[in-house]
Amino acid sequence: MLIGIDVGGTTTDAVIVDGSRVVKTAYVPTDHDNLLGCLLAAMDELVRGIDTRKIERVVLSTTLITNMIAEGKTDPVALVLIPGPGTNPKDYSLGESIILDGAIDFRGKETDPLKESQIREAAARIAAQGLSRVAVVGKFCQRNHSHEVKAGQVISSVLPNARIELGHRVSGQLNFPRRAATTMLTAATKDSYEKFAADVARALKQRKIEAPVYILKADGGTLPLDKSVSMPVETIFSGPAASIMGVLALTDPGKTSVVVDIGGTTTDLALILSGRPLLSAKGARVDSMFTHVRAFAVKSVAIGGDSAVCAGIGAISVGPHRDGPPCCMGGKGPTPTDALRVLGLSDIGDLSKAEQAMNMVASGLGCTAKQAAQKVVDAVVDKIVSEVHEMFREWEAEPAYRIWEIMQKEKLSAQSVVGVGGGAPPLVPLVAAQLGAEAVVPQYAPVANAIGAAVARPTLTLNLHIDTEKGEYSVAEDGSLGRVTDRKMTPDDAERLARRLLAERAARLGISEYASEAEVTYSEMFNMIRGWSTSGRLMDVRMEVTAGLLPSWEGC
Amino acid sequence: MSTIGNSKSGKTGLIFFPAFDWAISPTHPEREERLLYTRDQIFEEGLMDLPSIEEYKPRLAEKKDVARTHFCVPDVESQVTEAHLIAAGSTLTLADALERGEIKNGFALVRPPGHHSMRVVHGNRGFCNINNMAIMVDYLRSKYGHKRIAVIDTDVHHGDGTQEIFWHDPDVLCISFHQDGHTLYPGSGFVNEMGGPQALARTLNVPLPPGTTDEGIHYVLDNLILPILGEFKPDLVLNSAGQDNHYTDPLANMRFSANGYARLNEKLAPDLCVLEGGYAVETALPYVNTGIIQAMAGLDYSHVREPDFVPGRFVQSAEMKREIEHTVSQVMKTWEERDELVATALEGMGEFYRRKKRIFYDTDMINENQEEVVRLCPDCSGYMTINTSAQRGYGVLNSAFCVAIPRGACSSCREDAQEEYAEHLDDRRIGYVLMQDKDRDKFKFCNNMTHTEKGY
Repeated sequence: MLIGIDVGGTTTDAVIVDGSRVVKTAYVPTDHDNLLGCLLAAMDELVRGIDTRKIERVVLSTTLITNMIAEGKTDPVALVLIPGPGTNPKDYSLGESIILDGAIDFRGKETDPLKESQIREAAARIAAQGLSRVAVVGKFCQRNHSHEVKAGQVISSVLPNARIELGHRVSGQLNFPRRAATTMLTAATKDSYEKFAADVARALKQRKIEAPVYILKADGGTLPLDKSVSMPVETIFSGPAASIMGVLALTDPGKTSVVVDIGGTTTDLALILSGRPLLSAKGARVDSMFTHVRAFAVKSVAIGGDSAVCAGIGAISVGPHRDGPPCCMGGKGPTPTDALRVLGLSDIGDLSKAEQAMNMVASGLGCTAKQAAQKVVDAVVDKIVSEVHEMFREWEAEPAYRIWEIMQKEKLSAQSVVGVGGGAPPLVPLVAAQLGAEAVVPQYAPVANAIGAAVARPTLTLNLHIDTEKGEYSVAEDGSLGRVTDRKMTPDDAERLARRLLAERAARLGISEYASEAEVTYSEMFNMIRGWSTSGRLMDVRMEVTAGLLPSWEGC
Repeated sequence: MSTIGNSKSGKTGLIFFPAFDWAISPTHPEREERLLYTRDQIFEEGLMDLPSIEEYKPRLAEKKDVARTHFCVPDVESQVTEAHLIAAGSTLTLADALERGEIKNGFALVRPPGHHSMRVVHGNRGFCNINNMAIMVDYLRSKYGHKRIAVIDTDVHHGDGTQEIFWHDPDVLCISFHQDGHTLYPGSGFVNEMGGPQALARTLNVPLPPGTTDEGIHYVLDNLILPILGEFKPDLVLNSAGQDNHYTDPLANMRFSANGYARLNEKLAPDLCVLEGGYAVETALPYVNTGIIQAMAGLDYSHVREPDFVPGRFVQSAEMKREIEHTVSQVMKTWEERDELVATALEGMGEFYRRKKRIFYDTDMINENQEEVVRLCPDCSGYMTINTSAQRGYGVLNSAFCVAIPRGACSSCREDAQEEYAEHLDDRRIGYVLMQDKDRDKFKFCNNMTHTEKGY
């Protein structure tokens, strides 16, 4: 038996899955001041009367990090940058930072040394500000760690109790400002996340749940809870990821679908392209900062069941704000939920109050309440449909850097529109009809998120960069470096090395059994020509275990 | 600090198409590796994430877009690969974005380059098959009706292809500064190359001595290019942005810096930039491209610096300064006398202007002989014919008769041009007959041996 719990924005949903059967579901309202409490409340309700020894795995998806960031409750961090030549760091929206001299270039060559006295001064400034968490990030330091390591050591000698995060340990992918943001967020959330993880582990132990506990990441993959403490930021936006994994679990494989999660004031849209959830091209976005966190592309549209309907002369507008609950639920202003009630598309709330609400709208338009309700629903559906079209357009317009990528990109359109969340069932058929797609509202739509968490498999990515002229390789995900001796390495050799490193990384993360699922998703090789002869090769290989479902679920 | 120049609001459009799967040959300077470190640098800088920069996806140019500019012999398909169509198409994507008002300016950071490709194309010369910049100019004019366009060629090599394509066009101002043709490929671009009789001084060349520094190039910009642009008042300023004036370029001998390039683009404020050459793949391109993008986007480029660059590293000698000042004053005089030059040239010239040319394609080792005839028409810019024959080794490669009907052609030029086309269809000495009807945007290719015609 597998347990999935999604601590969502309004409710915490939990399920027990056995094979491909949903055994039990439970819900409790989410209390943002006590996420652990509602997680455990949901868990207790779920396992009541269940033999906990039969639980094989527990997966949590939590808004903890998302909320901390949204509410500004993260710990303060001193950001130390070694930007080298290029962009003025002020042009990045990273907030205040301390800039150090020193530079590494794209080949990992030191082009400008660090100045130790300057680092000491920086450490003294950090101490004076009373900060104890430091993020040190250098441009191209993923290709040569020496500056970050050295700066970290010097700061640590001045501030022995400081918690120091180095950029190359957080991500080794190209994009310095994203790495700086991710490193800073890691430093800002690690302590709270560690405490949360320890509390969860203790609470489960008290309940005699011995099964391994995993956390769901933004890319729909699971990671053992104890390993996740080094990368807390990976858990942001795990709620939408849970819903998308749930849709993957509850619909036919291989399809191109639009996932529509209609809530009170927002509608989340996501795409599954030929059975694979679309990842955000620029990584997860936190406030105005892009990060190196791989996340599903989710578009939040400011429209939902509770959106305020404003009726003017001859025209209406829906959202983006909320004036309170729908009239039919005791609110004051008209909402789409009232419109659906009037049209008989839902049976939520009091019909007469819904009719009153639509009469308010109708008076401005000079039509009947039913006609007004139809106009409100049309406005909501039109908005969602146009945003879906926009998502497909954006996907098609994603930059490509190779001839074959430009030649091969196929045009896709939605085969099905899948509704999850409370507001979806009445609207999904209308959206689907406009998109010329099939409407799907799965039986377990309200707990799709918890099911998604329960049956998601681990994901793992490894980006390997090899420079045979320097005789060196680096792994982007953990910043590890190593030596290669063969200057004439072939792409096959590079892929073999990547597979070995991926297996080692999987073992460190406690997900060895999935390493064999890894595929090469990207591979490139450049001959370096100096003069007229080859001096070495630069190779990049990406291997991935992409988002997917556990075989026990898929097999049924 | 870059505060001047970019008064227009909006984003800078960027297309990065490094053609990582295309090369002339594995060890050729124009190979896959060329933009690799530039990719690393601009991706690591996170430039594409900045709110002032919008990245666009490249598209393929249509064959018609190529035919609008070039007479490809025997046809477009035989002269271009997908990489060429994508590089050219990228410029068109940015042109569209500019015209739709989505961006304030744009930079097509693409390869393969194009500025050595001339109107007739038998093969690759100077690493170029088709002229991305010229294709964009013709597209902008035919689709959006722009009349006056200025193309500033900042590559170290003379932009001889672009010059040749707009040679007779008084509405396209082509200014190229470059290392003196006595010392560098393609061996042309002297001050006496000034355009056809109707368009004299709308082609201007500024040969510079080897070793010219930031100071010298900015002298040309401040004292020649910017004042002339002020008088010409183009609808659009375009930069053929080669990067091989850089002091580390292995194929040339100039001493321009990344900061100098950035400052040039800030002052020139081009509407669109198209990458041309530049072969210092590690020591120059990552820095120069970063600087150009920043300057165009109105960002601070003062932090861009090559690792081995120290300000004041290159000092211009007094002699070099005099030489540059002399060239600039000579070219300025040509510009100022442009109307007299045209009047004098047309005086006593008959109905037709003729010239013979030999063109060498260094990459493909092709020798081409051309006879070009332009009607000096009082009612329009006159139709043109080109009789071309190309040899490779001792054998004839291809021969063709090309007819061009200009935009705004008068009825007499149109009729005569159509007659010329029809007359040559039966001429068995000529392999192909090509027709470029720019006025109606229709293009025809006829194979005289098989009597098959196709059009775009």
